[in-house]
Amino acid sequence: MSTILDGSDDRGGQEPPSDDLAAAEYVLGVLDAGPRLAAESRILTDRAFADLVAGWQRRFAPLTLELRPVEVPSRVWTRIRERLGWPLDEPSVSPAARSLSFWRLAAGVAATVALGLLAVDFVPRWTAPRVSEGQFANAVTTLSRDDGSPGWLATVDARRGTLLMVPVPSAPDAQGRAAELWLIPSGQAPRSLGRVFFDRAHTVAVPATWRADLTDNAVLAISLEPAAGIPHAAPTGPIVAKGAIHL
Amino acid sequence: MPRAMELDINERRGERTPLDMLLKDIALGSRQAFEKLYRDSSPRLFAICLRIVSQRSEAEDVLQEVYATVWHKAAQYDVERAGAMSWLAMIARNKAIDRIRSQPQTRKTEPLELAEAVPDPTASPQLDAQASADRVRLDECLNELDERRRSLIRAAFFDGSTYEELAVRIGSPLGTVKSWIRRSLLQLRECLER
Repeated sequence: MSTILDGSDDRGGQEPPSDDLAAAEYVLGVLDAGPRLAAESRILTDRAFADLVAGWQRRFAPLTLELRPVEVPSRVWTRIRERLGWPLDEPSVSPAARSLSFWRLAAGVAATVALGLLAVDFVPRWTAPRVSEGQFANAVTTLSRDDGSPGWLATVDARRGTLLMVPVPSAPDAQGRAAELWLIPSGQAPRSLGRVFFDRAHTVAVPATWRADLTDNAVLAISLEPAAGIPHAAPTGPIVAKGAIHL
Repeated sequence: MPRAMELDINERRGERTPLDMLLKDIALGSRQAFEKLYRDSSPRLFAICLRIVSQRSEAEDVLQEVYATVWHKAAQYDVERAGAMSWLAMIARNKAIDRIRSQPQTRKTEPLELAEAVPDPTASPQLDAQASADRVRLDECLNELDERRRSLIRAAFFDGSTYEELAVRIGSPLGTVKSWIRRSLLQLRECLER
């Protein structure tokens, strides 16, 4: 039996942990950016893993209530209202329909329409116009932002290994970072598919060796990264949108 | 603020609590319910954010993100899966940890003394007095851990430090730190399921 101060522990840090330990490490918050992102994408696609995470969240929940509450400056509430697009002088009545949901839906519809137009506009130029090939039946994956609003729509053509990335137009990153697209096959590390844009559609060619990974439940994610050096080996910046492929 | 405490002390999984009902109304678009939920829960969530993201203005920014997410995702709240305050707290933790992971310059490096058995200076005494059964059980199981491992687990959880940061902070090899934490987690699970 080793003491806790030497490094010769039997269950060393090198072996990959079990799924349940991986879930526990995610909840405890000890994972670096890369493994953390991989765990987050797994939660989206792997119900069993999501259940393990929920189990650990339950176990640790009492600790989250241990900290002494801290008074929040009133400016934070003002900014939240601004962020949600609520007029500051409007009383907090409960509307029958949520105007924000409408705008979110509208943005999604607009993007879908844009996607349709683009598909009609561009597909014939990319491929021989053979209707039997069914280019229009390709699956569309929504990459959602953290707040649930759509960020990008990805049309996945697994056979050709292309992704048509259509953004719901948004402001570029204030810090000047670029949007980098990642393919995360279930349980694997993110792989860069290069740069995408905040304001225009763009076709991404997936390297031939990775095309087999464009499968159900693989995750597409977009992070903010320095433009220099794309494609990067691993994401370091914040994930701004993600979604699981459903073919 | 005592209002928020009363709410979450009584929280048990599967039972409707005022926060549960607020979330239900928020999912239907009630701004009034949202404002009430914010009033009742934000001091607790701010404490979580501030502990992980030490810089105040950043923590305020994370808190805005947390509540924007709550507004948009209230419909996804599942009362069978987690208590309302736990659900909110986990969103706050995740947003705060995501924030510090995206800013490598904010790595925590201050030394961590594992042997000290001092009570957490930011602990909430009101909750200690009326701790829920879950809380008592978790405390019992944490207390079964070796004292240094217990403080390592607590530091990891409250500060959102990575394995690497913890290794630097306590001056031990990375493999050792991983191994302690993993063994502590297994021990904790075993105790909680007993």
